[in-house]
Amino acid sequence: MEDVRLRTGTATLLSLVAFFSLTGAAVVFIWWLVFTENFQLVRKNRLVIPSVILIGIFGIILEITGGGGISYLFRMVVVILIGIWLLSGQKPGEFLHLGSWLFGNRAGFELGILAEMALQNLNMLLVDFDRIRAAERMKGVRSGLPSFISTGRVLIHGTLLRAEDTAELLAVRGYVQGGTCVPVFAREKKDLVAAFFALCAAVIAVIPVRAFFILS
Amino acid sequence: MAVQTVRLTLEGVRASQGSWSITAQGTFGEGLHLVSGDVGSGKSTLGLLMAGLSAPSSGQVTRDGISSVMVSFQFPEYHITGTSVREECESWGLDPATILSSVGLEACSERDPFSLSRGELKRLHLACVLSRGYDLLILDEPFSSLDVVEKHRICNILSHRSRGITILFSHEQTIFPRVDHIWEIREGRLRYCGSPPESFSNWQHVPPIIQRLVDAGKTPANISADDLKEAAWRT
Repeated sequence: MEDVRLRTGTATLLSLVAFFSLTGAAVVFIWWLVFTENFQLVRKNRLVIPSVILIGIFGIILEITGGGGISYLFRMVVVILIGIWLLSGQKPGEFLHLGSWLFGNRAGFELGILAEMALQNLNMLLVDFDRIRAAERMKGVRSGLPSFISTGRVLIHGTLLRAEDTAELLAVRGYVQGGTCVPVFAREKKDLVAAFFALCAAVIAVIPVRAFFILS
Repeated sequence: MAVQTVRLTLEGVRASQGSWSITAQGTFGEGLHLVSGDVGSGKSTLGLLMAGLSAPSSGQVTRDGISSVMVSFQFPEYHITGTSVREECESWGLDPATILSSVGLEACSERDPFSLSRGELKRLHLACVLSRGYDLLILDEPFSSLDVVEKHRICNILSHRSRGITILFSHEQTIFPRVDHIWEIREGRLRYCGSPPESFSNWQHVPPIIQRLVDAGKTPANISADDLKEAAWRT
């Protein structure tokens, strides 16, 4: 989906639908299978498996302690899949355009630039993580708590340094608040089709089944 | 006992990201290889492929007789595993006193490595890396963050490095070690320029100072500071 407004709107709607009911999650999952690159996205994104494992642990604990863990796990996995789809189409600068379009050149610009910086940082953290792990392997450091701690230290240090550099850069360029951005959005015909069916999925999930079918 | 030769071979190697790509073909034998190229030309990507830290989208990387590999990343922070400078030296299996005295950081032994300046950290890191012998050593922009004195010192160590394959990725234009082979990345492709001084005519990234000497008919034997001085003073 090229248009970030439609993509973000669709992702928000589908995430809510998937989170609030099991039927919703099932319908959203079908939408995800039909309108996205589905399992290719999962293969490309290294965050999916760790996220599912983490959610799985919570789900098991929930199932053991009070029940409903399996439902929670399924709903959250679908939310993660929608999130991965949202990020997979992300292009640099588009959240700045989205923010400015939504809330104008003051608050919108601020929110947009914040989102851009957060995503940029996330991508850089992944690159950093790969390099650190590679450096540790070459040094002969075994995986475990000590390596986990040293990796965390380097990641935090790098993130703080980058934050400082960004803040200095913004200050040097006279940034105080807001800015000027003329939002531009690309769109494809199939964007509207996917968004329409996402809306249909939401309606199906929200309206009871008996409203559609005559059940004896 | 026969001495095992080390060799790194790139066969139709290609790495790509979106519309950007780099292709490489060639064999790297024992000695010091300089790979030059502009910023963003793919030097780091190629270094990772050579070390086996990332997989090419097509082609094959073969490492014959290579049992130990080290990549020195441009940012030395990636390599830190110790919580003090002393611990950091020990994590490389080295004697802290020897290493720290070689880089003038004796007084920093108990400091957190992250409290060192980038230049100090780079000095420490390179001292650790260059104190050990690797069959394949890949140095990604080793001169970044170093002052001229340090660059000369590192070049001197590299010029006398006798073991294994050392590949130096750099866009440095003034200070070099004495190298055995020169390569460059041009238009998304790794090209072999040859050994100095024959390589200068094929080397598009030839530094201006070397080009001037060549134009003046004073072709240096190699690219180290001593070679350039010798050529410049030649009558």
